[in-house]
Amino acid sequence: MTPVHFTFSSAFMLGLTGLTFHRTHLLSALLCLEGMMLSLFVALSLWALQLSSISFSASPLLLLAFSACEASAGLALLVATARTHGSDRMQSLNLLQC
Amino acid sequence: MSPFILATLLFALGLGTMITFASSHWLLAWMGLEINTLAILPLMAQHHHPRAIEATTKYFIAQATAAAMLLFASATNAWLTGQWDIQLMTHPLPVTLITLALALKMGLAPMHSWLPEVIQGVDFTTGLVLSTWQKLAPFVLLLQLQPTNSTLLLALGTASTLVGGWGGLNQTQLRKILAYSSIAHLGWMTIVLQFSPSLALLTLIVYFTMTFSAFLMFKLNNSTNLNSLAISWTKAPVATALAPLVLLSLGGLPPLTGFMSKWLILQELTKQDLMPLATLLALSALLSLYFYLRLAYSLTLTVSPNTLIGTTPWRHPTSHLTLLLSTSTVATVFLLPITPAIVTLFSLLGT
Amino acid sequence: MSFFMSLLLLGLVLGLIVVASNPSPYFAALGLVVAAGVGCGILVWHGGSFLCFILFLIYLGGMLVVFAYCAALAADSHWESLGSQSVAATMLVYGVSVGVLAGGFYGGWYESSWLTVEEFHELAVHRGDAAGVALMYMPGGKMLMIAAWTLLLTLFVVMELVRGKNRGALRSI
Repeated sequence: MTPVHFTFSSAFMLGLTGLTFHRTHLLSALLCLEGMMLSLFVALSLWALQLSSISFSASPLLLLAFSACEASAGLALLVATARTHGSDRMQSLNLLQC
Repeated sequence: MSPFILATLLFALGLGTMITFASSHWLLAWMGLEINTLAILPLMAQHHHPRAIEATTKYFIAQATAAAMLLFASATNAWLTGQWDIQLMTHPLPVTLITLALALKMGLAPMHSWLPEVIQGVDFTTGLVLSTWQKLAPFVLLLQLQPTNSTLLLALGTASTLVGGWGGLNQTQLRKILAYSSIAHLGWMTIVLQFSPSLALLTLIVYFTMTFSAFLMFKLNNSTNLNSLAISWTKAPVATALAPLVLLSLGGLPPLTGFMSKWLILQELTKQDLMPLATLLALSALLSLYFYLRLAYSLTLTVSPNTLIGTTPWRHPTSHLTLLLSTSTVATVFLLPITPAIVTLFSLLGT
Repeated sequence: MSFFMSLLLLGLVLGLIVVASNPSPYFAALGLVVAAGVGCGILVWHGGSFLCFILFLIYLGGMLVVFAYCAALAADSHWESLGSQSVAATMLVYGVSVGVLAGGFYGGWYESSWLTVEEFHELAVHRGDAAGVALMYMPGGKMLMIAAWTLLLTLFVVMELVRGKNRGALRSI
């Protein structure tokens, strides 16, 4: 395991842990998702750069485009939740629980 | 929603799944899953009801997390072994991570708790899409993995069947019951996945037929909880007479189609010397059977007090199209006798 | 080079620790900015200047503007800043656990990865990553089409999701 590999793995796992355990705001959850996507971007670009795989170095861009799509869909859901529930607190998302 | 946008979204929904089917590279498979998730979001939230928005948000967070985990696992695989192919996964760590991510995507047992809430928040048609079409892409990815860690799949499957049975016992909402039924059926598929992929595919198709019929039946009756089932005979008497058969087919009783998949899976497990697991599975099917029986009971054997006029809505002409419902109901009830043909067909597909 | 690279990698992990330790969204966004900037640094040191450029533009130019807008939407009465007790405790826990994990893996680390591919031709005109991205115009054109189609689809998705019906807190009068 190289230090770079360890770094992006731990960054991703930190993002995942934050998303799992700390859920005060929906916006915080979306930021954690963005952090995970950032570490994935670093992982893909460094893989392409270290193996000098030229044809693969377009894939981080595709990843970034898709993560931008995901982020904008998440923000749209944030706005929609603020419309219907009045705030973006995760605690107010309790209409459907058993 | 404008029909053009609806057509675009439905096209994207199909396109995402097809990209995932056609891909041999993890990045492309991930893209297909993302397109799929993005396209279903406005369909779920189309009524802008608070429950629908909440279900959409929960669905989005679960799916986005699962997709990110999938891509992380495949990036880890690329760093460890240097390749991105779906079929050539050799290192056990990424395979385990990917299996867990796909389990989160499909709603298998330890990661299942978003599924009942999400299905409860949307209407029957979207719930049908969620519990059938949206399972296809992750399931196909799971089929293509080389199972190096068989205990994980067995544990996920057993936990799913047990949780699917136990969770549904306490529910009175039909959509939550159907969601727990979905969890239990996916557990059966996951258990048999590594021993006989063609059998898992057969179980998936049989489950699709049965759940199609069940969702459309409840949609026809327009009833979302257990109480309102008691007046469904006033709305559609023939469908009400057939509905218990559909539910018992979901439960897996012998002369109906649902028995086929459970029978073949138990036979396969005994062939693999997994007798205790097979016994546990058969017993967990009893848990599910209890709530299917309760649904059938309140559907057919209870009569709620009603006025004379209230008992005759079935005389009015309806605008429901029932061709799909009748076709899938016939398939749900009568397919058991042609089991050998179906098994042969799927084993040909598997090779 | 090795020392500076270690600092950058540490900065990436620290940025994610700030994001993950559940402060108010402003501080989480700040942590994400730091992490994105440090990620750019890592990419530059590995020779991927074009990818770094893209990351810098997207994160600091586009996404953070949107997040600042939404942080304004989600206003909080009392802030959980980085110094407040729960956040600091969580950050400490995360930092210690990452450190313990790093110590566990320390023996297996090897230094060969520090040598990057582009290290010996710093003055070359063509960089590998820029050439690779340019490949997307011809052999990877289908991927470009898929990505463009997804961005268009996202436009529809967002418009449908935030379309206002006359209910809820925000509505036209």
